[in-house]
Order: sequence, then structure tokens, then C-alpha cells
Amino acid sequence: MTAETTELTRPEPAANATPVLEVRGLRKEFPGTLALDDVGLEVRKGEIHALLGENGAGKSTLIKCVCGAYAATSGEVRIEGRPVSFSTPREAVDAGIAVVHQHFNLVPTLNVAENLWLGEALPRRMGLVDWPRAHARAREILDYVGLDVPTDADVTALRADHLAMISIAKAVASDAKIIILDEPTTALLPHEVETLFAQMRRLAQEGHSFLYVSHRLAEVFEIADRATVLRDGRNAGTFERETMDRASVIEAIVGRRGELSGRKSGSHMRESVVIETAGLSGGGAEDVSLTLRHGEILGVAGLPGSGAEDVLSLLFGRIRRRAGTVRKGELELRLREPSEAIAAGIAYVPADRLAEAVFHAESIRSNITMPSLARYLRDPILRLVNRGAESRESRQVAQRMRVRMPGIEAAIDDLSGGNQQKVVLGRWLSTGAEVFLLNAPTAAVDVGAKAEIYELIEELAGEGAGILFASTELEEYPLICDRVLVFFRGRVAGELKGDAVTEQNIMTLAAGGELAHGDD
Amino acid sequence: MATTETGGAETAFDWFGFLARWGTLISLVLLIAFFSLARPEVFPTLRNTLNILNQVSILGIIALGLTVCLVVGLFDLSIGAMATFGGYFAARFLAELGMDSAWVVLGAVLAVLILAMLIGMINGALVSYLGISAIVETLAMSFVVTGVILGVSGARTVYSSDIPESFQIIGQGAILGIPNPILIMIATALVLWVFLEHTQPGRNMYAIGGNREAARLSGINFQKFALIAMAISAACAALGGLVAAANLASGRPQGVGETYLLNAFVAVFIGASTLRPGKFHVFGTAVGVLLIGVINNGLSVMGVATYWQYIVQGLILILALISASMNSVRRA
Ligand SMILES: Nc1ncnc2c1ncn2[C@@H]1O[C@H](COP(=O)(O)OP(=O)(O)OP(=O)(O)O)[C@@H](O)[C@H]1O
Ligand SMILES: [Mg+2]
Repeated sequence: MTAETTELTRPEPAANATPVLEVRGLRKEFPGTLALDDVGLEVRKGEIHALLGENGAGKSTLIKCVCGAYAATSGEVRIEGRPVSFSTPREAVDAGIAVVHQHFNLVPTLNVAENLWLGEALPRRMGLVDWPRAHARAREILDYVGLDVPTDADVTALRADHLAMISIAKAVASDAKIIILDEPTTALLPHEVETLFAQMRRLAQEGHSFLYVSHRLAEVFEIADRATVLRDGRNAGTFERETMDRASVIEAIVGRRGELSGRKSGSHMRESVVIETAGLSGGGAEDVSLTLRHGEILGVAGLPGSGAEDVLSLLFGRIRRRAGTVRKGELELRLREPSEAIAAGIAYVPADRLAEAVFHAESIRSNITMPSLARYLRDPILRLVNRGAESRESRQVAQRMRVRMPGIEAAIDDLSGGNQQKVVLGRWLSTGAEVFLLNAPTAAVDVGAKAEIYELIEELAGEGAGILFASTELEEYPLICDRVLVFFRGRVAGELKGDAVTEQNIMTLAAGGELAHGDD
Repeated sequence: MATTETGGAETAFDWFGFLARWGTLISLVLLIAFFSLARPEVFPTLRNTLNILNQVSILGIIALGLTVCLVVGLFDLSIGAMATFGGYFAARFLAELGMDSAWVVLGAVLAVLILAMLIGMINGALVSYLGISAIVETLAMSFVVTGVILGVSGARTVYSSDIPESFQIIGQGAILGIPNPILIMIATALVLWVFLEHTQPGRNMYAIGGNREAARLSGINFQKFALIAMAISAACAALGGLVAAANLASGRPQGVGETYLLNAFVAVFIGASTLRPGKFHVFGTAVGVLLIGVINNGLSVMGVATYWQYIVQGLILILALISASMNSVRRA
């Protein structure tokens, strides 16, 4: 990483000058939840300020209170020393605050350029919208973050990382005084993160300030000048660059000492094969032959479009198979629909929580038990559900996943992002699945919960389940995988085992390179 | 943003959340209280209560069926035509058969309901397998159904002299002083409530409504449930129309269902902003239906012109929709 050298050329943000953004005594109550309690925060001019904390600590709520999306119960927000009180997000934009929310919303019926101009006055010529100029400006904004998609592309057809980059590009190019990014990198690829950071550093140098939320501590240490930590809706520490060491930051976040995510303790791999594919093709994957053993944690890695994720989709019957076979033990699986995969004992956690996993407006209970409702039936004909048993077991799952919630009957939409993720992971625990296909299972979860999810994955492997794992965070592969298959242009470009499973090796193979011999 | 520096008054009350949940129920209670005070000798009597329930029973049966469709996220605009269908064909079958026996009536009723379910399943199949928009498809289907009824009937009404007594009992009789249409509505509500809230298929329907792709990834088959939901909606609409025909002792080939179509949607959407904002549910629909009944009955008991009934009903719907959207804004 080039963080050190870039740091040296950056002027120190002035500590004594009036902060650009100051929050004092902020309090926000939801029915049954005190989300923020007497929270303070100070962002200086030209600084990149990280906002850290566990899932549900109140980070997103703080941001929404600052930008006028929520009305705070009490407290004060100052911009450049002046108290402000925005009643709509529009007023915040006008005051120079640009926000990319955790759940950024692009309008699916509009194209890229229209989304970029959303909320702005479009350029006009003789009273009509000057579309060529609107597209030209949109092009500029996208080039700014190095995003190579057509400005008239349909946003529904774009990759998740491109969607994220579009929202980010809009904020970063807005010339706002304060740019707030709530977990912007969750869906991004390593090179996109680098581009984003380069732009952030440049803008910070020009005097723009950033408030930046992330659960990826490595990124935080790379980019942030200072950090504020929230815990249970209260301040739990502020760090200057010099005092920001990993151990103390983690301690502030989780409230106890100790390194959390250690390397996995050892392999649980057994001899027997649970899934075997031969010549599997479909989506972007070509001719994939792999074996997954009981107790094995097998990583599939690769750039988007490399086919790695498509292997998970194929094994779950989510996308159509063009060729090849899938065997589970003696059985050849047809896998035309996800329901067939579930019946065969396969579980799948999709990458996009909101679009593909969460049942909106439904209770946490329902969200946990939906794929396994058949277990709670009182009778096979009327199919009445035994609510008592269902409640009991969903509570146990929520407890095991350590979901922070007002109660099991609360709507899932009211949980913080990371806690929603724990719920959608937890829903597969009670299905008795033998194979787990996990696509970015730790997306948006905090450091503590990440470690818990790694432990949980290991536990599942220990019980004999076979696990296929994909992630956008390359550092996760060495932490938990026994073996990694790296994809390039639809095919398996290489296999890494044991100590050879490193970020560097994965990156090399994913980019189509060759590993130097004697690397392992 | 409030900038209260005082430490007191810590428990801010969430008025939005409260009204989004309880607003429609509170309006119902307030309206009942108002009419009771205004016309104590007429409005709050047992007779008038049964009267109100009787007046809304057909609307209620139709709206309850529509609720199931909306739970899976599908609009059904064919319920008006299906109500006419149910009423006309039940009367016509029995007139053709010309036998006044309870078994024949039961057979005719079942036949009509099964036909309606088949039509609903065609709706469901076209919508789910071909991916046609439900609004457009059900609108088209209602033209087809209306056309078929007009063609078969030659626009002639089946009159009461041709309709057997035992059929008319469905709409005119009573058990223990409670009119049959009310009992049928209550039974429909109970069955659908148990179905939606307490059975696996019902719960799966809510999952589909909450997120169709997530439902698919949980092994829930949208096509199957679209078929079931639209069949239930069509059958309930036909049942409503059939009760209306029995009640009036006439099988009219036109002008029956249209009156219920809009009100059914109003009731269901009022319901979706009751107790569980953003969710369609049986209890909510029941509240919506009652609200409509109380407004219409109360205003006419007070001698207010009919157009006021429309205005008040419209205003309440707007309020309900505002409170529902407040809630989704708050969540976003
Ligand atoms: N609209 C809401 N209604 C009720 N409670 C809410 C709502 N939004 C958030 N909360 C609660 O407020 C608390 C803080 O949530 P918030 O989303 O700010 O957490 P966060 O720090 O952003 O977490 P994450 O890292 O998981 O995104 C949580 O306990 C959450 O359940
Ligand atoms: Mg958040």
C-alpha cells in the first residue's frame, strides 16, 4: 500500500480552527430503542474522519440526523460554527453536505445520467433539457472515479460495484464541503477502493472534509486522519492518527481487549466428498470441475464477471446451467430452481442483502424461519404453523447470531445493516443444510461480528458441512479457507492451498497472471 | 432538528409511528362515537349495527379476497367483473335447472366458485409465467368476462320468479337473528385470516410480497402462489356477487361489480395502514370495510346528502395513504 508516502505530502488539518462539522449532545430515540445518546463529533477542514462502531452502534442514524433525513430528539449540529437544523435532505445538500447512504438508492427506471442528475436542475437550452450536455457532464463525473459504463445504461443492468461507484461519484464530484460516505466500499473491488481513496486524498488536500463509515479497519488505517468510535449509541473514544493503533481501536469498538479475527485454528476437512461438479457451465462460468469435501471451506475468488460468483448461483439453481453435471453423493442434482437445491440440503446467502435476502416489512421471526417453515407444521394438510415453536427457535437463532434487536417481532427494516445480515445468515442455520454457499457473508458486519461469523462458518465445517465461500474482501480468504479456486474469464485459473492462499496470489491469478514457481 | 438543551422531557413520543399504526382505528372509534352522540336513538342500536354489517358484507367478502392478491403484490382489477359473473351465472344456472332443492343450489354455487377459481388461475398463470403486468392483465380479463356475460345473457336480467327460494335464503335468511351475508363475511374473514397468518402457504405469500427474489431463494415458488392468490381473489369476488344476487333475488348481467371494485381497493389500502403499516392483512381490511360502512350509514342516518359520503370516504383514504407513506419515508 502507498498510504505512508501519500500521508507525508498531506497538510495536517488544523486542530484549532473552527470545525467544519460539529455535533453536540445528539440524541435520537426510536420506539423501543435509544439509538443515540449525547453523542458528539468534530470534523475538521480537509480531514478524512472515520466513524466507527459495531452494528447498531448508531453510525447511520447519526448521519441521517446530520443530513436532515431524521429529526433528532435533541442536540445540536453546527456547520462551520453556525447551528443548523435541516428538515429535509435537500437543505443539507444546499448547505454543502453530500451523503452516500449505506443503502444507496438509484432509481431503477432511470438511466445512469438521469440518476446522476437526480435532484439537480438539468442543463437547459431554449427551455428544453439539453441532454447532450447532461450526458457529457455525467461522463465527466464517471471518468472522475474511473468508471467505464455508458451514461445511457439502464441501472438495473449494472453490477453492484458499479452502482456503488455511481452513487459515490455523484457525491465526490458534487463540490460539497462535507462528503459523508456510509460504508461505501462494501460492494467495491480492491482497485475501485484504491481509485476512491486516491480521489478522497486529493479532495481532502483541496480542503474538502470526509466523514467515512466502514467496518474494514485496514481501510480505515489506510485513509483516516482521525476516528470517532460509537458504542451503544454513545461516544467511546476519539483517535488522532498517532494514537490510532489496531488494538485500542478494536477495544473502543467492542468494549473489551483483544485481537478478534485470528487465523482459523485448523482444517475440519474430511475424506468424503459432498459436492462434485464436472464441466459445469452457466452464466459467466465455463467448464468448472470441482470437488467439495465434508468439512471443507473452499473459496472461490475472482473479479466480477470472472464466473466465481456464478458457480454459487449455478449450484443453487439460481441461474440456468448450460452444460455439466452436479453430484451430491450418489445423487445427480437437476437444480432447475432454488427450491430443488434447498430440498437437496444446499443453503445460499446472496451478496445483495436488501434486494435478494430481506423480506421487507416482515418480522425478524419470519425472516429467520421462512425457508424452514416446514419444520414447524402441526399437520401436513392445512399446514398450520406452530407459532410457539417457531418463536422459540427463531429467538435461539437470533441469540446465537447475537442480533441486536428490540424484539423478535420487530420489523427487519428497523435493524441496522449488519444485524440484518446476521438475520439472513441465521435463517439457514436451522435448515440442517449440508452445503453452504456463502457470497460475501460478512458484508456490512462489524469486526466483532465478523470474527463471530468466521467462527460460525468453522463450526458448520466442524459439523461436517461443506462450504463454498466468496467475498469481495480478499483478506478473508487466507483467514478461513482451506483451499481457494481463483477464476479468470470464466475458468479456474489456479488453485491455492495452505500457505499459498494469500491476497497477493489471489490477485495475481485473478488478473490472469502466473504464479512464480516455488511460491509455496 | 430540535435544539433543546434542557435535560427534561426525555421520552419524545413518536407521533408518526403512532398515527401510522392507530390512525385508522382511532378514526373508526371517533366516527362511531360521533354518530352515536349525534343520533343516539338510531345509530348505536343492535338493529343498526346489523344493518351496517349487512350493508358492507358483500364489499367485505370481495375486499378480503383482494387482500390475498395484494399480499403477494398483485393487483386484481377483475374483481368487479368477477362479482357480476358470480351473481349472474349462479342465478342463470338455477333458473335453467328450475329445481328448488338445497342440493342443487349447493351444486350451482360450487360450480360457479370453481369456474371463478379457474378464471383466477388463468389470471395467475398469465401474470406469473408470461410476466404480464397484473393490472393490465386483470383489466383485460374483466373485459373478456363482461363480454361473455353480456353475450350469454343478451343483456337480460334473470328475475326473482325464476330464482329458487333456497338460493335466495343465502342472501336473505338469518341464523339466530344474524343475516346470512354477515355470517358469510365473518366466515370468509376467519378462513383467510388463519390462512394468511397461520399456514405455511399464507406465510409464503407474505414472503413473496416482502421480496420476490428473496422468496425464490428461500425455495418459494412465485408462479404457484400467484395462481393460488388470484384464484382466491376471483372466488371471493364471485362469492360476493352471488350473495348480492341472492339478496336482491335477481341475476343482473351488468352494473353489479363496478360499485364494489373501487371501494374494495379503498378498504384494503386503508387496512394496509392499520396496525402493521405497509402490510396488507385481514384485520386491516376488516377495519377498512367497517370504516366505509360506518361513514355511509352514519351520514345517511344523519340525513346528509350522498355526495358527502364520497367526500368523507375519499378524505379518510387520503389520510390513510399519507400516514402509510409517512411511515415508509421514516424508514427509508
Ligand atoms: N427506522 C428505525 N426504527 C427503529 N429503530 C431503528 C431505526 N433505524 C435504526 N434503528 C435502531 O437504531 C440503532 C442504530 O442503528 P444504526 O442503523 O444507526 O446502526 P449502525 O451503527 O449504522 O449499524 P451498521 O453498522 O449495522 O450499519 C439500532 O439498534 C437500530 O435497530
Ligand atoms: Mg449503518
